[in-house]
Amino acid sequence: MANLERAPRKSFNDLIYDLIFKNYVWQSIFRTGYPNTPRNQMLAVATNVFLHLHPTRIHRTHVKITHTYCLGGLSFFMFLGLTVTGVLLMFYYVPSVERAYQDIQALEANVRFGQLLRNMHRWMAHAMIILVLLHMMRVFYTGAYKPPREFNWVVGVVLFILTLLLSFTGYLLPWDQLAFWAITVGTTMVGSAPVLGDESKFLLLGGFSVGSNALIRFYTLHVIGLPLVISIFLAVHFWRVRRDGGLARPL
Amino acid sequence: MVSRAAAAVRTRPRREREQEVLVWPDLVFIEFISALIFSIALMVLSAMVNAPLLNRADPDTTPNPSKAPWYFLNLQELLLHMEPAWAGVIVPTIALVLLAAIPYWDRDQEGQGVWFGTKFAGRLAIFGFTAATLITSLLIIWDGSLHVVWTENIIRGLGLNSDFSWPGGLDWFRNLRGFDTGIPWDSLGFTIGGFTMFADWRAIPLGIPGTTTDPWLLNLNFPSFLSQQIIPVATMVGLPVLFVLFCKALGWIHTRRDIALLIFSAFIGVYLTTTIVGTAFRGQGQDLKPPWDIVVLEE
Ligand code: HEM
Repeated sequence: MANLERAPRKSFNDLIYDLIFKNYVWQSIFRTGYPNTPRNQMLAVATNVFLHLHPTRIHRTHVKITHTYCLGGLSFFMFLGLTVTGVLLMFYYVPSVERAYQDIQALEANVRFGQLLRNMHRWMAHAMIILVLLHMMRVFYTGAYKPPREFNWVVGVVLFILTLLLSFTGYLLPWDQLAFWAITVGTTMVGSAPVLGDESKFLLLGGFSVGSNALIRFYTLHVIGLPLVISIFLAVHFWRVRRDGGLARPL
Repeated sequence: MVSRAAAAVRTRPRREREQEVLVWPDLVFIEFISALIFSIALMVLSAMVNAPLLNRADPDTTPNPSKAPWYFLNLQELLLHMEPAWAGVIVPTIALVLLAAIPYWDRDQEGQGVWFGTKFAGRLAIFGFTAATLITSLLIIWDGSLHVVWTENIIRGLGLNSDFSWPGGLDWFRNLRGFDTGIPWDSLGFTIGGFTMFADWRAIPLGIPGTTTDPWLLNLNFPSFLSQQIIPVATMVGLPVLFVLFCKALGWIHTRRDIALLIFSAFIGVYLTTTIVGTAFRGQGQDLKPPWDIVVLEE
């Protein structure tokens, strides 16, 4: 009987929905629709290149915000945001003593949303340092460094150092008084090391003081060297979180 | 005999499927929301506050004070209180190595995965953080000779002695350098046997002449060594030890985890205090100043 009834007419919403999500192009990108069964939801996580950093299921205590405060995730989010804004900044910036400062001024004055772009990059960099420190504190106070996670804690310490170095190398690039003298003070501290102090300082600056060699070194480290290295350590970090059986929880 | 790795696997918590939730949607949703909140907050911040851009870099004009980026100002602060090699390189290196070594020292698996997992964890954290913050501040005040200024002002202000000044006999207690300059070292030399060994404390011969060109290896200036190296290092090693002994006496410490909690919290206290003082309380010539009195001069 019921079979004979006419199918109810599609509502306007359904029409729009079908138009967007059930067309040929969309379905070529996303092979399945919204995953609304547990099986499909697990498949969505396992088969999506970005989501598969996650396991498909996690312990319920770990989705409580107060367990991680999302700090590790947010640190990583800052890194992604810095990469995007950083690439955009590279369009406008030439790392030479003659042009660097001028380019930043021009970026702020002439480029649409240029000032906003620079601000975002700057404040995200500060935020990332703070978030990484807070993440370290949360890991410590939840005792999550204990075996079998010892090595991932060490990877974390390396990530912290790399985060600081990324920020420090970026600091010089605007080539203003703030940048110049901060890097002068910072590298002088390196130079006071009891062994190889002067040598490390020379290596870092490409000379005895902050000049064009230092600028190109810092730039290269900032935009490619350190990001590559930190990406590798981030991959190991996330992989280890999975291999160690997800986040730590009481025995 | 089970290998350590195998033992670690063995003691891993059992999976309890019924306690698990799906990453999609539960976790993905939280991540999405927190990312959204942060994006908006940063957008708003960036729309309101501009990143600083001063004059073009000029090697001939030194700003006073010159400061490293804020996340290194804790080290720059240390620099004012000890030999630069300690402050800039050795102390941070040791701190990072110790930090990385925590899990290899505190291996007990009890109390992981929950906030403040031991009985006295909360107290240890609060005590470590507060005491370290206080003591660090006091030490900075003392090395900045503020106690001299304050004592003089109070005694003059109370009208007890209108031209009171810090007694010369207490010069050694003005600040850390006082142990160098405030003590009549030159009259304290002595001789052992035929050698006039420490006849001059300010040039104890150390290196073998002709083997090194580095003058600091040749002669040791003992008073300066005392004030710039022995005392700062003894303080950095001694205070944590005292903290541990104190909390042990209170009965708060039972495991290595407790010691780690105490020292880590104290470390965070020192880290924060030195960063804040270095950022907001150091004016020209790196003198201690309240934040509103700090102006940067270009010289
Ligand atoms: C760029 C910096 C870093 C990023 C992006 C990052 C990211 C993450 C993420 C996403 C997690 C998953 C859990 C969570 O969000 O809390 C995590 C866990 C962890 N992180 Fe990090 N992290 C960073 C730095 C550090 C540092 C500095 C340390 C320690 C010194 C550290 C130690 C750990 C450990 C031990 C875990 C496992 C925690 C557990 O099992 O509960 N990480 N990290």
